[in-house]
Amino acid sequence: MTIQECYAALEGDYEEVLNRLYSEALVRKFLLKFLSDPSFQLLETSMQTGQHEEAFRAAHTLKGVSQNLSFTKLYHSSHQITEALRTKDYDLAGQLLPQVEADYAQTAAAIRAFQGE
Amino acid sequence: MSTNKEQRHTILVADDSDMNRTILRSMLEESYDIIEAEDGLQAVAILQQKDQEISLVLLDIVMPNMDGFDVLSAMNQYNWIDTVPVIMISAESTHSFIERAYDMGVTDYISRPFDMMVVRRRVINTIMLYAKQRRLAAMVNEQIYQREKINNLMISILSHIVEFRNEESGLHVLHIQTMTEILLKSLMRKTDKYQLDRETINLIGNASTLHDVGKIGIPTEVLNKPGKFTPEEFAIMKEHSRMGAEMMRGVPFQDEPLVKYAYEICHWHHERYDGRGYPDGLVGEEIPISAQVVALADVYDALTSERVYKPAHSHEKALAMILNGECGAFQPLLLECLVESSDMIQKEMAVDTVLRGEQRIMENTATEVLQNEELITADRTLRVLELERNKLRFFSSLSQDILFEYTRTPSMLTLYPRGVQRLGLERDTVDPYHNKRVLELMSVDQMTELAQRLQETSPEEPSVEYYFDSHIDGAPARFQIICQSVWSPDEPPQYTGVIGKMVECKGEEETH
Repeated sequence: MTIQECYAALEGDYEEVLNRLYSEALVRKFLLKFLSDPSFQLLETSMQTGQHEEAFRAAHTLKGVSQNLSFTKLYHSSHQITEALRTKDYDLAGQLLPQVEADYAQTAAAIRAFQGE
Repeated sequence: MSTNKEQRHTILVADDSDMNRTILRSMLEESYDIIEAEDGLQAVAILQQKDQEISLVLLDIVMPNMDGFDVLSAMNQYNWIDTVPVIMISAESTHSFIERAYDMGVTDYISRPFDMMVVRRRVINTIMLYAKQRRLAAMVNEQIYQREKINNLMISILSHIVEFRNEESGLHVLHIQTMTEILLKSLMRKTDKYQLDRETINLIGNASTLHDVGKIGIPTEVLNKPGKFTPEEFAIMKEHSRMGAEMMRGVPFQDEPLVKYAYEICHWHHERYDGRGYPDGLVGEEIPISAQVVALADVYDALTSERVYKPAHSHEKALAMILNGECGAFQPLLLECLVESSDMIQKEMAVDTVLRGEQRIMENTATEVLQNEELITADRTLRVLELERNKLRFFSSLSQDILFEYTRTPSMLTLYPRGVQRLGLERDTVDPYHNKRVLELMSVDQMTELAQRLQETSPEEPSVEYYFDSHIDGAPARFQIICQSVWSPDEPPQYTGVIGKMVECKGEEETH
């Protein structure tokens, strides 16, 4: 799997990220590092335990990281949940969580597949 | 330190996401040294230690512990914001957030997603701008410093010439100057009758070194006669005040306050408050305050110095003789100042006078620099600080005690090397109340009790003595903490931290 195919699988924008970071090596490095970023897990657990502030910060970080890596799809859903948590609309945030989980799973799977080669 | 052209700049990256820090590091590490902070509290702790080394802060807004705005508040509170530029980096694009950040002093704003070219450009532009400003500030300071240094040097040379002819050591003039300034500072706190301020005190201090300049007109045989003067010789000797006054009248800078004070001092430093002095027999407040203070300093130094006809008296003896009225008559308020400054006088007179001279220049320059807000943390102030730090480091290396400092915002405990070694703690501990290793040494209850006692102190009575039981090296031990609260110069003063020492109590004698 090429890095372009990986971006296609996670529904991101490879052209865009390459334009900003200038080197494929850097994009690859951050892409692989994304798997060890704890913010998604933190978002999930803090949503479960009702720690809303913690959840907001985790969502916010996840959103920032996805944005930096041009993970367009994951950015979109993490942005929405961040705004719901910011406005303290916790019901909405709860409804949005499954989409974030699905997008994260899709992203992580694509990266793992890329990594596996 | 800020003018080195070859220096690699250091950037502090404060972001709670490891990913984001890594991305920024990759973009910048080729040209800059990077320090990372995982949250606001760490960022402030790092700034606390190295604000002079950091050329730029890249600051995230949403962070745990202290967020970006809290960091900016701290940077404003400690004036770091004046010299350390901040660029906000955040996924926050809300207008009010950005506006608030600018209001709090950030220089620029980089929004996500990061673009390598934009990040590098903004960083270099900001650093260059500030570096230029710092270089200019350093140049201006260097000039002020040089000027002050030459001024002091000239006065010092002149007064040493006078002393040389008197066969006295040059220490006498320096002592007079030191003591004059101590007494005037004390007087300034007591009354505004004489409209004293730092600048005036500085001028009178400088002028005091000329008090005996008239002695160059006295024949050597009289001036340096061992043993008692005959009445005729004493009459000749007394002429030195009038001669000094004439000299000061003869110099061309009559509008200069320094010359005015030097004139007063030369002329009337042998007057007495009761009117029985010379040359004019002035009474009480007819004697200018400059001359009154120098007269007292002169008498004290004569008593505590060895002369051909007498040994040196101790500080206590000299004080007793003056208060007893055995050596002249002085204004009661001035005698109060003498008594209250007694410790300070004893301490300052013992300091190596060359060192003191240098320190004095720095203090004065620092004052001048402080009057100009733009130069607030420039080189001169730093030298003074550096000197103080060196002194502290030296003294703490001699001490067997565990010395510590604590700042409240951010909550941070700092230990000196001896304490690090003895207690096995880090040099700096952020948020010690929740630090496992600190808690092993001192329980929450003990810390709370100590904090409570410190809360109850005041700037006038800042000291607290506290005993507690703990363990060290696996064995029970009893400790004594002697510390005092530290207060800000604000009005009203704010309780900002603690300095103190911790001592292991040996044996059973401490039971209270």
